[in-house]
This record gives sequence, structure tokens and C-alpha cells, in this order.
Amino acid sequence: MSLKAPLWRAIALFRFASLAYAAVLLVLRHQAYAHWAAAWGVLAVMTGWTIASTIAYAVPARRTWPLLTADLVITAAAVLSTALVQKPADFEHGVMPVTATWLAGPALAWAVVEGPWAGAAAAVVIGGCAVALRYSTPASIYRSTALDGPTIILLAGIALGYGSRLAARAEQALQRATEIEAASRERERLARSIHDSVLQVLAMVQRRGAEAGGEAAELGRLAGQQEAALRTLIRGDGHAALPAGELDLAAELAREASALVSVIGPGVPVLLSEKAVRETAAAVRAAIDNVRRHCGDDAKAWVLVDDEGGSVSVTVRDDGPGFPSGRLAEAAAEGRLGVSHAITGRIRDLGGAADVVSSLGSGTEVRLRLPRASA
Amino acid sequence: MTARPETDGHGTRIMVVDDHPMWREAVSRDLTEAGFDVVASVGEGKQALRIVASVRPDVVVLDLQLPDLPGVEVARGLLAATQGVRVLVLSASGEHRDVLEAVKAGAAGYILKSASRPEFLDAVRRTGAGDAVFSPGLAGLVLGEFRRMAASPAPDAPRLTDREAEILRMVGTGMSYRQIAERLVLSHRTVQNHVQNTLSKLHLHNRVELVRYAIEHGLDSAPQ
Repeated sequence: MSLKAPLWRAIALFRFASLAYAAVLLVLRHQAYAHWAAAWGVLAVMTGWTIASTIAYAVPARRTWPLLTADLVITAAAVLSTALVQKPADFEHGVMPVTATWLAGPALAWAVVEGPWAGAAAAVVIGGCAVALRYSTPASIYRSTALDGPTIILLAGIALGYGSRLAARAEQALQRATEIEAASRERERLARSIHDSVLQVLAMVQRRGAEAGGEAAELGRLAGQQEAALRTLIRGDGHAALPAGELDLAAELAREASALVSVIGPGVPVLLSEKAVRETAAAVRAAIDNVRRHCGDDAKAWVLVDDEGGSVSVTVRDDGPGFPSGRLAEAAAEGRLGVSHAITGRIRDLGGAADVVSSLGSGTEVRLRLPRASA
Repeated sequence: MTARPETDGHGTRIMVVDDHPMWREAVSRDLTEAGFDVVASVGEGKQALRIVASVRPDVVVLDLQLPDLPGVEVARGLLAATQGVRVLVLSASGEHRDVLEAVKAGAAGYILKSASRPEFLDAVRRTGAGDAVFSPGLAGLVLGEFRRMAASPAPDAPRLTDREAEILRMVGTGMSYRQIAERLVLSHRTVQNHVQNTLSKLHLHNRVELVRYAIEHGLDSAPQ
């Protein structure tokens, strides 16, 4: 619905109310009229035009110059007819024109349709007619107040025109916002469907490539990497509203996923302080680097995030050869392994604990456990 | 994965539900070559629900991304329509909530489309044999679901035993049942039973929840 509709309702209400006011004045001040019956004729025309204009203005397509001009001409004529029906002497004493306040109608309509300047112009025409009536007889002591009514009409025309312009602009902005929202929703829907199709194809290439071997296997591996990357990207835009100062550890670690690294989470955000998330992610990256360094470029790794409520544990396991227990302490003592500082140090700074478990044949496992500060 | 020959499907009846023709054909061909009996291959959820009673599959290989119905609803409908049918979710999009909901509704397992052909065939075989097929991703989701229930105030929510949690975490880090059995000094079968138990608890809880919901909302009284 148009924002201007209430304005038109208000104008229609104003016309009818001021029409009633004009009728009441005509009854009360009948002694001021030389041709009382003719004045009722003018009121009949005003009534007819009030009804006709209300119906005409109700349809936006009809709010054009012919209607506006007719409105102004008929109203001005009604104002000027006062000179014919009222007694000049009483007119001089400040009795309102036969139209009373009804004469403001066109100024309001012009303002709403064409803006403040048109409202002002219509007000000047109508006001001019009203002022001309006052000056039509010589020597009036009421001339000093002759401009009061027209000034108010002028003010109303400009103010309403300005308000109407604002309403129109607000409506356009609203319309644009609605269009943008609809377009982005449609884009999202398309993106989801395209993503799904692309994931399907990438998964198929990976599967077939691995079976074919050779160069195709390499293509399959690349497709698998892209599949993991795309899936991470799609998953990333789901949880926009995180509490201030906290991050989703599961989402952060999901960035590390690749064809060889599976990141497994609980399917809902695992919230920790920003610092804890950043440091833990760095520790996990260090652990994955270790896997690359010690187990080769085709070793697989799994990162499991387990939110136990009071604490969060992250396990990084590889399917490499592993090493006999004791070797790690040895390596750390010699300062050769990055495990010690990059992983254990970081987690210890967060108040957590890290340990490394390995046995020949079932890979190496780095376990990180972080306390939840607020829990 | 296992050294079994690839032609031991033993005529297990399979229905494939996937809206991508490319996948539907590839999956059906692989299954047929491995000795499975692909009795139906459809691209829409409604169609699957319509024919499942007449084709009587043992295993339904189900993609959750379907054009006409939510995959979870299809899984639920398939399980309700036929006694003893087992649903294996095969999904490319990794929609976490959907997968978890499908498993809670009674799906027997979940495997990613990027899994290799032997892994996939093995999963179908195990589903047909009545085992739970746990990918690491599913283990993580199930573990997460139990953690959430443990944190919720509901007194009758199922809990994991320490052993079950330990095993789920091992599955979640990519360990095979054999590796887990060796590490924990258990039999392969025991490890499998533990995993199966976690799923049974979820299924049971899900059913209890559904019944409670029905009673609370007056759905148990006969319709007017």
C-alpha cells in the first residue's frame, strides 16, 4: 500500500468536515447573505465537487493536471461567488466567504501530487481570490486580517508538499530494499542449488579419478580438495550471530579441511573466547604441519572437536606409521620437535593441557583439552 | 577396505534415491557389478515413498538433497512404510542437521559421496547385514548430540557410557573398528555393538520424544 494513501484519506476527511462547517456557518449567518438560496446553490456545487473529487483522487492514475486544474478552478469559482451572494457590508465585517475553510482543498491536493511548490502556487491562487474579495469593496477596516487565512493555506500547502515528497522518497527506498532482499534471497537459493550440483560433480570426479589411477588420480585429488574447500565455504555463512568476543571453534577449524584432512565437529557452534579459538586453531595447524613433515604428503589426518560442556577437547590423529612411546619426550628434550612449543605451549597458556599419544601401527594422536572459563 | 571380493552382494535388494542422474547411474552400476540387486532407482522422494512397499528393498541408498521433499521426511516415511528396511544416507552436501535428523529418525548409517567405491560398497554391505555404518563425520554428530542432551535438563535423556564415548571419539578420528578393537583390547564385534548401542539409544529416545509430543498435543486421541 502506498504511504500517500493516508494523506488522501486525510484530505477527503478535511473536505467533508469543512463542507459541514460551511453549511453550519451558512445557517448561523443567514442574515449576512443577500441571496441566501443562491448561497445554498453554491454549497450544493461544493458538495458535488467534494464527492466527485474524493472519488477521482482515490485512483492514483487520475491524479494529473486536468483533475488538479478542475479542482482549483471550481474552488476558486466557489470562493469568488461569495461576492455575488453575500451582502457587501457584512462581507466587509469579516464574515468568511461562502466556502469557509473548504477553499484549502486544492492547495492540499496540489501539494500531495506535485510537491511543495505546486502546493504553494495553488495556495496563492486560492488565497489571492480570498484577498481579492476583501479588497473588492473600498475602505474596509478588516483588511489588516485579510492575509491570515491565505498565509495558513500557503503554509499548509508547503508543509504537506514537503511531507508528501518525503513519503514518496521513503516509499521508493522501501521498494528498493524489498527488491534487493528478494533478489538476494533468490541468489542464495540459486547458489545453494549450484553449490549442491558442483559438490556432486566434484565428488564424482574424485571418486572416479581415484579408481582410474595415474594422472586421473591427481585430477581426482584436486577435485576432492575443491570439494572440501567449497563445503567449508558454504558452511561458513550459516552462523552470523555469535556472542561478542566469542568465536565458533568448529567453524574456525573447518577451514583446515582438505582432501586429506577431515574436520569433524558436533554440527553446532562450539563457542570459546576469540583468543582461545585463535590459539587453538594455530596449535591444530601446527599439529597438521607435523603430520605433513613426519608422515609425508599423502598421510590422512582427522580433527575431532568434542564439546563436553565444561571443557572442549580437540583431537588430531594421523594414519602415519606412528612411533614408539618415549621417542617424543626424547625429541622434545633435544628441542627437535615443534610439538613442544607450538602446540603444548599455546594450550598451556590457555589453561589447558596437551598430550601426544602414539603407538606403532595406529598413527599419532595429539589431544588438546581446553577449559571453559565461564562454565 | 576389506579384502572381500566385490561380488558378494548376495542379491541384497537395493533401492537408490538420488536426484542427480549421474550419481544414480554410477551408484546403481557399482552396486549391480558388486552383485547387489538394484530393484529401483528413483530421483524423487514422493516416488520413492510410493513404490517402496511394492519393491520391498532391504537397503535404501538415500541422498538427502531431493527436489520435492526434505530428505529427512523421506527417510522417516521409508522407515515407516516398510518393516525391516534399512536406510543408508549417501550425501554430498554434508548438511549436518539433516544427517543427524535422518539418523535419529532411524537411518542406519551415513557415508559421504566422496568415499571411495570399496568404502561405499562395504557400507552398503554392512547396512544390509544390520550393522551401523559410522563415518567419522557421523560419529562427531552423534557425540555432539549426546553432549547436548547431557547439558540439557531433561532427566530421562539417554547418556553415553564412558566406553561408548571413547569409541565414538576413536571413530570420529578416523580409526577403523579393527584399530579400535586392537587399541582397547576388545573384539571387533564388541566395538561394533558399542557403536550400534549409541544409535539404538538415539532411535529409542527419538521415538519416546515423538510419543510424548503426540500425547502433549493431543494427537493420540482418535480424530473426530
